[in-house]
Amino acid sequence: MIRHAIRMAVGTLVLTALAAAQQPATSTQNEVVIKNAIVMTVTHGDIQNGSVYIKDGKIVAVGDNVNAPASATVIDAGGKYLTPGIIDSHSHIALDDDVNEATSPVTPHMMMIDAFDYQDKAIYRGLAGGVTTSLLLHGSANMIGGQAVVIKHKYGANRDAMLFPGAPRSIKFASGENPKRVYGRKDQLPSTRMGNFAVQREALVQAQEYERDWDEYDAKVKKGDKDAKPPKRDLKLEALADVLRGKLLVQIHCYRADELLTEMAMAKEFGYKVRAFHHALEAYKVADQIAANGVAIATFSDWWGYKQEAWDAIPWNAVLSMRKGVRVAIKSDSEDFARRLNQEAAKTMRYGGATEDEALKMITLNPAWIIGVDDRVGSIDIGKDADLVLWDGPPLSSYGVPNKVWIDGDVYFDRALPGFGMPHYKEGM
Amino acid sequence: MRRTFVVGRWSLVVSLAFFIFSGMSAAQQKAIVLKGGKLLTITHGTIENGTLVMENGKIAAVGPSGSVNVPAGAQVIDVTGMTVYPGLIDSETALGLTEISAEQMTNDQIELSDEIMPHMHVYDAFHAESELIPVARVNGITNAIVAPDSRDTLPGQDSFIQLDGKSAPDMLLVKDIALPLNFTGDQRRNQNFESAKFPYTRMGMAAQLRQAFLDAQNYAQGLADYEKKKADYESGKSTSAKGAASKKGEDKKDAKQPPTPPKRDLKLEALLPYLQGKKTIVLAAEGPSDLETAVGLAKEFNLKFVLNHISHTQPVLDYVASLKVPVIVGPIYEDPQAYERYDAVYSLPAQLYKRGVKIAFASFDAHNVRNLPYQAGYATSFGLPYDEALKSLTLNAAEIWGVADKLGSLDVGKTANVVVANGDPLDVKTDVKQVFIGGNSIPMTNRQTRLRDMYSAP
Repeated sequence: MIRHAIRMAVGTLVLTALAAAQQPATSTQNEVVIKNAIVMTVTHGDIQNGSVYIKDGKIVAVGDNVNAPASATVIDAGGKYLTPGIIDSHSHIALDDDVNEATSPVTPHMMMIDAFDYQDKAIYRGLAGGVTTSLLLHGSANMIGGQAVVIKHKYGANRDAMLFPGAPRSIKFASGENPKRVYGRKDQLPSTRMGNFAVQREALVQAQEYERDWDEYDAKVKKGDKDAKPPKRDLKLEALADVLRGKLLVQIHCYRADELLTEMAMAKEFGYKVRAFHHALEAYKVADQIAANGVAIATFSDWWGYKQEAWDAIPWNAVLSMRKGVRVAIKSDSEDFARRLNQEAAKTMRYGGATEDEALKMITLNPAWIIGVDDRVGSIDIGKDADLVLWDGPPLSSYGVPNKVWIDGDVYFDRALPGFGMPHYKEGM
Repeated sequence: MRRTFVVGRWSLVVSLAFFIFSGMSAAQQKAIVLKGGKLLTITHGTIENGTLVMENGKIAAVGPSGSVNVPAGAQVIDVTGMTVYPGLIDSETALGLTEISAEQMTNDQIELSDEIMPHMHVYDAFHAESELIPVARVNGITNAIVAPDSRDTLPGQDSFIQLDGKSAPDMLLVKDIALPLNFTGDQRRNQNFESAKFPYTRMGMAAQLRQAFLDAQNYAQGLADYEKKKADYESGKSTSAKGAASKKGEDKKDAKQPPTPPKRDLKLEALLPYLQGKKTIVLAAEGPSDLETAVGLAKEFNLKFVLNHISHTQPVLDYVASLKVPVIVGPIYEDPQAYERYDAVYSLPAQLYKRGVKIAFASFDAHNVRNLPYQAGYATSFGLPYDEALKSLTLNAAEIWGVADKLGSLDVGKTANVVVANGDPLDVKTDVKQVFIGGNSIPMTNRQTRLRDMYSAP
């Protein structure tokens, strides 16, 4: 039983332990007040001329005025916009060429943490674009890819300090053209969408059997059967069994409306929940069903036409889906877009008339929910991590550029600084 | 659900305009007057309450509302509260050469069998009915350079298009307007060691280019020699025909044999206007060393050139300025190198402008041409003056491409490519309400609006 529990939690435990062991040694300001800002809270509107009080890396007060001790460092925002740190719910940065273990269509035991290159400058460039948290996902070559890693963009800190402490585990699924292409070219299964879902179903059936074997063993042990023999551990099936047990957030790369429906039906068949559809460029066609299943989408603002299954993409997808009750995030899936997700989100105001609040939510609180960290980040609320961005220019426009970025209350990017603009990073260190 | 416009009266106007011009022909049928808008003229400042008249496909009048006469019988559109500006020009796209990037049968962007392909002409492949064109133009992009993909050093010749017309000839305003010369390293054939072929290195690329231009010089010489012989022969014939006192013997015998023209070589022939400085080479490089090598080649053969990309040339911007040529900049969204600050490419337009370099923006894209204005907007956040950003999408581009007599500003006599939007043309939030090309009101619809309407119907 104990062994079972350890086995199940092992991924989380490792990540948490690693993160806890390495508090950033960089924190210089324990108490900070940012005053005279237009505070865009995401959850409770904008505060003109507002203040935010940060203590020990957390937001402890937000409002027109805050009660902070005289010893707190005061930063006058000069009337600039202050938003929560941007959250990218679909990223492949800092993974070098190790995004796809494209040798088998089912690889749930691949751990992105094992490929995480914390020195990749793409983390810095995202930070300079206001991104404070990213979900680094396996690619979409496989029907069932690997398990994601959640990072904070503390460039200059050590690897483990960059891991988001206690973030839930996510796994990447994918269907459609990518697995078709990758395995079809090798004359392997799957080369069609029929093959796609047969492979996925087959793997889940095996996982059901594996889960049953372990449940039977655990029951015997519980009954005091000293001779009970544990089944052989299989990392692949163990990970999939955790999907069936609801231990993993299922993030599915999927484009076409029919596939969105099939994936939801398959989840129902095997009893797991889909957390979010990624890309989901045809979500607007089946938004009612997606909303009814409580699935979020992480989509592009207006990218289209790069492949057949992106041919029906329209820039109104985000807002049409949102109006039907779908939780919508705008994500990057790109080193480039990650640097200006604010601009991408602002496009939803033009295409469909999202409000500033709604647009901002698509790159903060909603992606935080997709990653499962919305209780920790994604809005300017008391008790949340002090991940904040001060903007030169209105963030939801062509002109929004981060002036300063705080993570856990510490400034990690400051545009006014020379060189890379990072207080905690020197080239060659 | 019909799309509801912010300005109520506009919706009526658009339906009306659509009704009138839905059977669109190339010639503008009726004078159109845009009254009461904020006019961004580019050449003579902003007119807060201005009126613009479009007649016979051209801008017939532009000025403060009180000072412009409205022609009798004109269709008057009240654009109070709207911003009116010239159609935007994208200085490099793949419009009409691609439909779905990953579907090879829909792509006609590059011939990879050889690197020296100046006899490829974009106009031979240009697909006027591309679904991408209406997507681009409803955001105010009315003209564009169409270029082949950049994976050959000399991939073929660009065309300059207008984003409206029933067929390719309507849309191709200037065929073979320029020839790209790409020297970024991406043209090397070194994908892997096993299938390595020449040119495997930059040395190979440079040697191959130099040989191509030398061959073209020889070819030109061959043609000139032939022309001279032909002229001599012609004059010899005419003098003998007059039966004047010409010498008998050798001379006469020669004159009987017309000179043989050199064998035509389409590749070398295509290079001639560029060798002669009659047309522009678009010289693409990314970093300083590639830039200097490529410029060296261009100077060696006296090529007339503009620069393209030069995204990572910050250390040599004074040198760039000293060349006194325009730069098609960016895309500014190109990632910086690992050693560069995050804004190294964002700030490039401003850095060039500061040094007196004329710049133009390009999307270097096909599907995302509609986003062209936003990178100009973003560049202003990194030091480029706003007016210059707008100019870089209009007049500067028109000047670089030699069409400033027809395009690039709201001036009398220019083609009536005019955009009406509900705000700042460079801001992502701004909605373009109506586009006019050649004075024609363009339907503000495309495949994407049709899908939107189909799936948002109750």
